[in-house]
Amino acid sequence: MILEWIRFIIGTVILCVGLITFALEVFGVYRFHFVLNRMHAAAMGDTLGIGISLIGLIIFSGFNFTSLKMLLVVIFLWFASPVSSHLIARLEVTTDEELEKYCDVMPHETAE
Amino acid sequence: MNTSLQNAYHVVFVGALVFLAVMLLLCFIRAVKGPKVADRIVATNMMGTIVMVIIAILALLLKEGYLADICIIYAMISFLAVIVLTKVYMGVYREKKEKEERGK
Repeated sequence: MILEWIRFIIGTVILCVGLITFALEVFGVYRFHFVLNRMHAAAMGDTLGIGISLIGLIIFSGFNFTSLKMLLVVIFLWFASPVSSHLIARLEVTTDEELEKYCDVMPHETAE
Repeated sequence: MNTSLQNAYHVVFVGALVFLAVMLLLCFIRAVKGPKVADRIVATNMMGTIVMVIIAILALLLKEGYLADICIIYAMISFLAVIVLTKVYMGVYREKKEKEERGK
């Protein structure tokens, strides 16, 4: 009984850390004013936020197939999130005509 | 004897769901307001991540294990959506550019 309560408290603390990470992500997206800065804040939730939240849920769930599938989601997002961030950054650099107004770029590296 | 623990789990899960719903609404406002295409895609990606956590919490709250499968499929489909949207917008931009150069 007391062990169940200890598991509940540890899982709740870890889940709350993940939810705070999501709050920081949304705050960062509203705080910055340019897409490439906003993406920095948004990529934090993709890996760190969902990772910590799902670790909290895995502690709630115990050792079974549901927690294994949640771990698979986290591992998949570790691979998928950098790729999608890279593609969005390349879209922005390719299509933005006035990129020099926001950040320093080398002229030959912007051409794709 | 065990009902107090179940009540505590219920409170934590429902509280987390309400918090994530507010975050989802803020992301949606960002996706509507975003001045550029890349802003909207970033906000959509964030909404996908938050919905994944909501599905994972529901899998434990409703005690339905198969919702975790839906979580995996949602992750794959949202990754695919980002890739397809970026490719489509880059193709649209290149076609517009070619048409402008031909018009000159």
